Amino acid sequence: MEFQSCFDIIGPIMVGPSSSHTAGVVSIGKFIYELLGDYPQETNIVFYDSFAETYQGHGTDKALIGGLLGMDTDDSRIKYALEKAKECGMQYQFEFENDCEYIDHPNTTIVTAKRGDRVVKVGGVSLGGGLSKIFLIDDEMVAIRLSAGDDFSILASPYQPKGKALVKAI
Amino acid sequence: MMEIQSMKELIEACHREKKSIGEIMLMMEAEKSGKDEGTIISMMEERLIKMKEAVDSGIKDASTAPSGISGGDAVKMSEYVHQGKSLSGDYISNAMSFSLATSESNARMGVIVATPTAGAAGILPGVLFSLHKNDGTPYHELVKGLFTASMLGLVIANRSFISGAAGGCQAEVGSATAMAAGTIVELKGGTPQQVVNATAIAMKSLLGLVCDPVGGLVEVPCIKRNVIGTSIAFSAADMSLAGVKSRIPCDEVIEAMYKVGKDMPRTLRETALGGLAMTETGKEVKERLFCRKS
Repeated sequence: MEFQSCFDIIGPIMVGPSSSHTAGVVSIGKFIYELLGDYPQETNIVFYDSFAETYQGHGTDKALIGGLLGMDTDDSRIKYALEKAKECGMQYQFEFENDCEYIDHPNTTIVTAKRGDRVVKVGGVSLGGGLSKIFLIDDEMVAIRLSAGDDFSILASPYQPKGKALVKAI
Repeated sequence: MMEIQSMKELIEACHREKKSIGEIMLMMEAEKSGKDEGTIISMMEERLIKMKEAVDSGIKDASTAPSGISGGDAVKMSEYVHQGKSLSGDYISNAMSFSLATSESNARMGVIVATPTAGAAGILPGVLFSLHKNDGTPYHELVKGLFTASMLGLVIANRSFISGAAGGCQAEVGSATAMAAGTIVELKGGTPQQVVNATAIAMKSLLGLVCDPVGGLVEVPCIKRNVIGTSIAFSAADMSLAGVKSRIPCDEVIEAMYKVGKDMPRTLRETALGGLAMTETGKEVKERLFCRKS
C-alpha cells in the first residue's frame, strides 16, 4: 500500500497548481538535495510522458529545481526557482522523452546531479496527491517513499555517494 | 496493527470498534506514526486553517492567473449568491463560491492543501466551510471530517488512483467528490454504511470523466469541475441520508474506476493531447501560452 497516512490524502500544504506535477516533484528534488548534502552545481533532468507534455503549465521544471535548491513543497519562492538557480550558478538542462526504460508511470523523471566530485543519478515517480517514490539510485533499483512531512535527510543518508567512486555514473 | 484495505473492512472495523470512520482513521494514524492523537489532531487543524486562508484570500481576489485563462469567477459567484439570486440553495451555492476561491488560488500558485490532489483541492474546503456557514458545524467537527475524508481517500488511493495522469479526472475530481460526499454524511450523523453509500454514489456519477486540461494547466476545465463536484457531493450525501443505497457496492465502484482508468488512452490522462485541450480554442490557448514563454 503506497498511501499510509491521513496526511498523504489531506496534504501536503503546498503551492499550486498540481500535487503530482508540482508538489511531488519538489520532494524528488529535495531528496536529491539531501543526497548531495547541498544543491547540485550541474544537473541534467529528463522528463517522461505526462511530465514531458505538461511541465510548463504545471511549473514542474520550477518544482524540481526548487527542490534541488532545498525548498519544501509550501515554499512560495518555488515560482522563482529558475531565477534562484541562475543566482546560485546552478547549470541545468532539461530533456524530454516518451517512455522510461526503468518504470512504467506517466509522472517519471531521471535526474543526474553533480556537486564537486559527487555524482548521483536518481529516478523518481510522482504517485499523485504529493506522494513520490524514488525508484533508482545509480542504476540500483530502490523503493523509497517520499511524503512531504518526512525528514528526507534521514531517508537519503544510507544512499549518500562517497565521492569519486561514483563519477562513472554520469 | 490495523490495516484497512476496503470499504467493507472499514465498515466492519467501525462496528467492531464502535467508532466512526474518522475515529478509525485517527486511531490507525496514531498506531502507525507513534504520535499521540492530540499531535495528529493539531496537524490536521493546521491543514484546515490553510484551507480557510485559501478560501478567504481567493474569494476577494479578482485577479487573473498568470496564464490569463482563469481568475475572478469566485468574486462573481459570491456576489451573485450574496444577492440571493442563486437557484441551488445556500449549502451548494456557498460551496460553489468557496470551491472556486480555492481552485483559483491554486492556479495562481498560491498556498493550498491537496485534498487529495491540488487539482481537486477546491471540493472538500467548499463543502466543509459551507456546512460551517449554513448550520454552524464547528471547526473542530470539520477537523474530524478531514479524518473521515482521508480514510475514504486512503482506501480509494490504494485500490485505484487519485491523479488525473494515472486515471483521468474520474480519479481526481471523482475521488475528491466521493470523499466529500461521505464526509458530509458522517458530519450529519449518518452511519458508516451511509457514508460509504454516498461515496459510491458520488464516484459513480463521475465515472469515465477524462483529464483534458487546456494547455496542460490546472485551470480549464479543472476549476469548474471542482465547483460541480461540490454539488454532486451534496446530492449524493442527501440521497444516502434519505436511505437511498448504491446498487453497486463501493469497493466494486472503485474497481470499476480503476479499470476504466486503465482503459483510458494516454491522450485523455493529463497529457493535454485530447478532449477540451485539443478543441480549436484549447489549441489556441496552448499556442499563445507557449509562444509567450519562449
